[in-house]
Amino acid sequence: MQEMVLIQTGGMARGESVGDAAEADVRREFEARLAECGPLAYRVARGVLRNTADAEDVAQEALLRAYRHFDRLRDRNRFRGWLVRIAFRLALDRLRSRKRSEVRDTLWSQPEHRPPAATAEDLAASNEFQTHLDRAFEELPEKLRLVLLLAAMEGHTIEEIAGMIGISTGTVKSRIFYARKQLAEKLRCHSNTIKTR
Amino acid sequence: MPFEHHKDALIEAAASGVEPEGELRAHLEACDSCRAAFAEEQALFASIDAGLHARANAEVPVSLLPRVRARLDEEGAPRNSWITSGFVLATAAVVIVAFFAARAIRHINVGSERVETARKTYVPPVVPPPQNQNALVEPRVDKNSNSARQFNSAKNSAAAELPVRASTESEVLVPRDQEILLAVYAEQWNLHKRAPLLAQNSDATILAQLQIAPIQIDELGVKLLAEEK
Repeated sequence: MQEMVLIQTGGMARGESVGDAAEADVRREFEARLAECGPLAYRVARGVLRNTADAEDVAQEALLRAYRHFDRLRDRNRFRGWLVRIAFRLALDRLRSRKRSEVRDTLWSQPEHRPPAATAEDLAASNEFQTHLDRAFEELPEKLRLVLLLAAMEGHTIEEIAGMIGISTGTVKSRIFYARKQLAEKLRCHSNTIKTR
Repeated sequence: MPFEHHKDALIEAAASGVEPEGELRAHLEACDSCRAAFAEEQALFASIDAGLHARANAEVPVSLLPRVRARLDEEGAPRNSWITSGFVLATAAVVIVAFFAARAIRHINVGSERVETARKTYVPPVVPPPQNQNALVEPRVDKNSNSARQFNSAKNSAAAELPVRASTESEVLVPRDQEILLAVYAEQWNLHKRAPLLAQNSDATILAQLQIAPIQIDELGVKLLAEEK
């Protein structure tokens, strides 16, 4: 004879549904990662866009997207790499649309192309070499750009980058090598600028 | 030794960030121009690294995380993607089923219209009676009557229309000595006459051949099932 027992959980007794509890857990888990990975998303976006306001918008959008699809991520240890890819992709999209709108504005309203108004941060960093470097960086293939950007960030080892992107450490090293070499080839003609630095 | 001979090796050494070794190192110690070129390459890569470092390690605005948290509060709980995808799949399945159902209904309607049209225009195919001794006499119908004209025109047009009708109309296999009677019967049916009237006017010998003997059915023996042990 099987004995039947009626069980009532404490959470249910307090009027809190199981769904609400699960949502609260998800939110709590995401919040814990937000403080750690939010700056990373911003820096990736900033590295692509070179604009503080745009980078903040993109980072915010990337974090919101990550939150919306947080349940799809089965291995939560891969959150950093996942977020980096989202932020990088969104930043590239923003960069492309910005370039398109700049071209459109130039064609329709201005006879000459004028760069966007420089912020104090931009002015501080402005010099000829940095301009050429930015241009050369934007001409790199996407996969080289992302690896080089992550490698340039403080606190990222080759192994961490490999884990984030999901490639081998050898591939990370070769991508960094070829990316730096391509940048050097494009910037070598500005060696005079280098000497004056 | 000129710089061009060691150019690639020097660039690769500078790009990889490791100090040159072996023959290249010995050459650099001996050649001032190559040493200067190598130093220039190292300076170039150092500048690139510095520029990338500045680019990649920008100060994070303090407003970023509070803004994200505020948006998360507005956003509410993340939607369960499996529910969303399940709803999308269910909707897609309903649309597909509805599409095929509508198509099937339309097909049935078109088919019934075709059958109806074929019934209205149907003229039974008639084979002319054989000329030999076994052939039956032609039906006794007035050659000037409307039905006789239809009968003749049916004989002429049946062969031409048969292949087209064969796909839509059912065909009946009739004994050779009853085909004329059946053709006349079908013709009278088309003229909205009743079968008994036609039968009364028909030849008695032909009607006798159409009679069917009653089916002989033996009585069924019912046996009780053996009881289960």
